Amino acid sequence: MEQPRGKTGWTEVTEPGPGRPGFGASDRRPRVAALRLLSTMTQAEIKLCSLLLQEHFGEIVEKIGVHLIRTGSQPLRVIAHDTGTSLDQVKKALCVLIQHNLVIYQVHKRGVVEYEAQCSRVLRMLRYPRYIYTAKTLYSDTGELIVEELLLNGKMTMSAVVKKVADRLTETMEDGKTMDYAEVSNTFVRLADTHFVQRCPFVPATENSDPGPPPPAPTLVINEKDMYLVPKLSLIGKGKRRRSSDEDATGEPKAKRPKHTADNKEPIPDDGIYWQANLDRFHQHFRDQGIVSAVANRMDQTSSEIVRTMLRMSEITTPSNAPFTQPLSSNEIFRSLPVGYNISKQVLDQYLTLLADDPLEFVGKSGDSGGGMYVINLHKALGSLATATLESVVQERFGSRCARIFRLVLQKKHLEQKQVEDFAMIPAKEAKDMLYKMLSENFISLQEIPKTPDHAPSRTFYLYTVNILSAARMLLHRCYKSIANLIERRQFETKENKRLLEKSQRVEAIIASMQATGAEEAQLQEIEEMITAPERQQLETLKRNVNKLDASEIQVDETIFLLESYIESTMKRQ
Amino acid sequence: MRFLATLRIIELCHQFPHGITDQVIQNEMPHIEAQQRAVAINRLLSMGQLDLLRSNTGLLYRIKDSQNAGPVSFFLSKMKGSDNQEKLVYQIIEDAGNKGIWSRDIRYKSNLPLTEINKILKNLESKKLIKAVKSVAASKKKVYMLYNLQPDRSVTGGAWYSDQDFESEFVEVLNQQCFKFLQSKAETARESKQNPMIQRNSSFASSHEVWKYICELGISKVELSMEDIETILNTLIYDGKVEMTIIAAKEGTVGSVDGHMKLYRAVNPIIPPTGLVRAPCGLCPVFDDCHEGGEISPSNCIYMTEWLEF
Repeated sequence: MEQPRGKTGWTEVTEPGPGRPGFGASDRRPRVAALRLLSTMTQAEIKLCSLLLQEHFGEIVEKIGVHLIRTGSQPLRVIAHDTGTSLDQVKKALCVLIQHNLVIYQVHKRGVVEYEAQCSRVLRMLRYPRYIYTAKTLYSDTGELIVEELLLNGKMTMSAVVKKVADRLTETMEDGKTMDYAEVSNTFVRLADTHFVQRCPFVPATENSDPGPPPPAPTLVINEKDMYLVPKLSLIGKGKRRRSSDEDATGEPKAKRPKHTADNKEPIPDDGIYWQANLDRFHQHFRDQGIVSAVANRMDQTSSEIVRTMLRMSEITTPSNAPFTQPLSSNEIFRSLPVGYNISKQVLDQYLTLLADDPLEFVGKSGDSGGGMYVINLHKALGSLATATLESVVQERFGSRCARIFRLVLQKKHLEQKQVEDFAMIPAKEAKDMLYKMLSENFISLQEIPKTPDHAPSRTFYLYTVNILSAARMLLHRCYKSIANLIERRQFETKENKRLLEKSQRVEAIIASMQATGAEEAQLQEIEEMITAPERQQLETLKRNVNKLDASEIQVDETIFLLESYIESTMKRQ
Repeated sequence: MRFLATLRIIELCHQFPHGITDQVIQNEMPHIEAQQRAVAINRLLSMGQLDLLRSNTGLLYRIKDSQNAGPVSFFLSKMKGSDNQEKLVYQIIEDAGNKGIWSRDIRYKSNLPLTEINKILKNLESKKLIKAVKSVAASKKKVYMLYNLQPDRSVTGGAWYSDQDFESEFVEVLNQQCFKFLQSKAETARESKQNPMIQRNSSFASSHEVWKYICELGISKVELSMEDIETILNTLIYDGKVEMTIIAAKEGTVGSVDGHMKLYRAVNPIIPPTGLVRAPCGLCPVFDDCHEGGEISPSNCIYMTEWLEF
């Protein structure tokens, strides 16, 4: 098992004495026996966070971020001191991290502000492509760009998002066409209504009767009902194309320039109301997707559509970590089916009965009123998906006979050596070999039941069993390390070809500027030939490899999602 | 002289069909010495003309004729030239039925020394009266049973073992055939496009149906029972290819056991192969040794290189 790195256990905070250097009088640490259990993160997770932070934000943010992940909650000066970076840089790094919700702050007694990194949130950066793609499938390009902007900038006001997205969309449209702000606003409102974007907590408007000095850090609050409330803005305008430099030179006279800058000084109508992407809602969507596709694989398309309808109806009413959805009556489901599906009520009832009776147990019947009350068993569904993931890994790594033994032990819970051989119909020698292999990789564990008090091995029962939770954790850890490996390989491949990449970039820049000045075809050709055919081939291979590694990261992240959801759901029930 | 003695003894036995004791013979022929008497009696016994019986008074000699012949004497008549010990051992083995009995157990029951037992067993085997069957549970152990008995399943392992070897290919073939049958049944049900209830019910096959199909296929030299087929179908369940439900069935419906019936159906897995196994790291055998800067690292990983070139 991995040894968790970083401080574990308890830490005591003591007051600095007058002789200690580096501490100003203003930030004396409170003399609390601050016994805090610091979060333990495994080596693999820390490594992955480090790679992600570096790729997205650079060296300095990575250093600060990883330091905070390793050491838990710390005040500003301690961070600067321990990492050896200047206070100014630490402040900037923390700004970036807080903007992206990767670090939170808390005011402790005596006014000390401590910053804490959210390691799990850092790992979510892997999933950004999936969030953006989901928005695209649900709300087309407009939705895609809105979510992308929000994820890349952490927090934004609605007006800023709308303007930016309209500009970007206009770029891609045909000449003469522009994207209207209103359309983008509509999509934004729809995203807010379905809870995919939410408002960030804000500083509550306090009365100015409070005489004391302002607190060192503001406390942010958000109301449940305010979270998805879109401010009444009338954003009027159209997206603007980015004017290319020559158009400026030939087109507008200089007099127009000041007017442009004046535009930017207009007061923003929704200043202070910031929005962020609601990752939990996306996770709920992914979970629903997983359940629907499992039903489609096991049963048929119609059954999966019915389950999708039921999940859609429960989106807002059921909290995302509930074990069951609210009961839905068959009549309600019938009314909510998508328009294209014209199945009769009886047929729907038949499908519901079949779903409830299926050994999968994803759907259960909870009553008979309203034509039959049905619930979706979310916890069981997540468990089945996690188990299927484990089985899939065993099958691919060790072979289908091993998978047979694994499923057998999973279903029968505890089995002796002889029973495994008999049930699985595999010869004794092979069965033993496979069991020991799985045992050494921690997919299966051994339970001892002694017959005599002295625990003599010849008089003890040894039973094989599968502990799903611990196997899931073990596999999750392997996933983290795998993604870190993939990222490292991708960076290595890029570094190997750095010279070639730089050359190709320079050539492209030259070509672009030449095209702008109206060069001849022959001249362009000459420049293009600066990159030889084998070099072109190399670039092609590099592009293909980088794409493949990227895609693989996203695929492994899918596995991570299933396992994490299951572990979270199980821990909440305990 | 001897001949006369034997004749006389036979006459006496005919006179007393229920058997005569040694004393009676002595009384009849007082002029014959005990030894000669014994020889005569032994001879008659070995020729199978007399039966030797034990009563609470002593030994009885009875004429053996077809009316008198019971099951014991029938077998004993086979054993021409066997002596009492052999008969005893034979009796013990017979009692063990078709489960057979281990040589050590024979020793306990008959109280005969090991060497004697072995000699007798060899003797009986050569006379084709008993046979040794190797037990599948412990391959060194040999159990003895009567020659013409079928060994019990627990000894031979049933249909899956032929001469102590587990027939893996046979099991595999059966496994595939059963799965194909269930798969095609599910296919036809799906394509029939009827209402969902009928569709689902017709995709199920009872264990009896599968058994009949396999028997008709004729791929098995050994006769298979419905239970055997159920064990094969269970392995398909553990392969994740088939699911089972139990329904209540009326006694008397074909294939029902104890009022319920097992139904099997081919199914698809609920998720495709998971993301982790699509990356080389998911299947890597040296995963734990891999770290940046080491001999095995992501930068120089040969599995990744191969995978990228694919």
